[in-house]
Amino acid sequence: MGLLTVLKKLKQKEKEMRILMLYVFVFVGLDNAGKTTVLKRLNGEPIDTISPTLGFNIKTLEHRGYKLNVWDVGGQKSLRSYWRNYFESTDGLVWVIDSADKRRLDDCKIELYKLLQEERLEGASLLVFANKQDMPGALSAADIADILELPNIKTHHWQIYKCSAVTGENLVDGINWIVDDIAARIFYID
Amino acid sequence: MFQTDKPNLSNPEDEKRISRSEEDRSFDEVIGHIEDLLLEKYWDVFEPVEDNKLIYTDIFNEYNKAVEAYIVDYLKKVMPQFTVDTLLHQLKNNFRLLSNNFPILACLHNVIKLSEKQKQMELEGEVFEVLSTITDFLAFKEMFLDYRAVKEGKVADLSCGISITSLKSCNAEDCKDPSR
Repeated sequence: MGLLTVLKKLKQKEKEMRILMLYVFVFVGLDNAGKTTVLKRLNGEPIDTISPTLGFNIKTLEHRGYKLNVWDVGGQKSLRSYWRNYFESTDGLVWVIDSADKRRLDDCKIELYKLLQEERLEGASLLVFANKQDMPGALSAADIADILELPNIKTHHWQIYKCSAVTGENLVDGINWIVDDIAARIFYID
Repeated sequence: MFQTDKPNLSNPEDEKRISRSEEDRSFDEVIGHIEDLLLEKYWDVFEPVEDNKLIYTDIFNEYNKAVEAYIVDYLKKVMPQFTVDTLLHQLKNNFRLLSNNFPILACLHNVIKLSEKQKQMELEGEVFEVLSTITDFLAFKEMFLDYRAVKEGKVADLSCGISITSLKSCNAEDCKDPSR
């Protein structure tokens, strides 16, 4: 059987395959935003011994019959130029923010808009996690949406969720939103 | 303690192995060489921790490039009119493309997924493993970590010392062997 025959067969089985299709998410955001903690919490792993990510983590999560291939890349300044290496075939972008770190929100905004200009992220759904809501003085999701000017984003579907990786609040809701958004987009194209 | 049996060529398992086509073996060999080359060059870079170094990505790309180049080379030999651009174009028109950089590997990736789904493991185990290291980063990392463990002697080399023999060839005398 030739490659194309196999691929065509695969195309016929599309409805099933789409469900199994890897949804590739990239978790990005400034360092200490809590990306790895969010990911580990979602995966049911202990979160008490997490050190700063120096490279990248990969996890495959099963969620509502979807297979989510998640890449979590380190957020330190020196690592940000490497983010672009992980954008290929990315369906969704999870941007994690430390809501208690007001001083760095400007920096955060600059990095986010840089990212949204990436050609390979065109069409990717954007989920913003306003993390660390358990911390005193954390900004609300509405305030952060304001500061980051999220309503001005027309190039990507976006949604913001306040959350806490420590308490687990809202994490699943956020992931549900992005999975549904990606699924709707892919089915719509077909 | 363990007795090594002489290989029994009339064993159906062996016959099956021998009957594998020349082409399969040549493919295995080439992939094997590419693997050895990279494994030997980079095994000590890989560490058994969750946090992946950025350089792994470069090595992964180098590996993919080598395998893709080999396949392209082969395709050009057997079909002189073959070009990657044409293939890429056909794929783009018909399928949701996973990778622009390595179109042929992206095809293989889909084929692997299909075989997984249908549980049609027509490919022999080892070839299947190799194929998954081409498109699956975690399988790729695992391959390096295994190689590293062997290099550092952390894994007992099972190829010497223990041999598995079929029950048939074990006769009553062996079992009563007083030299044990």
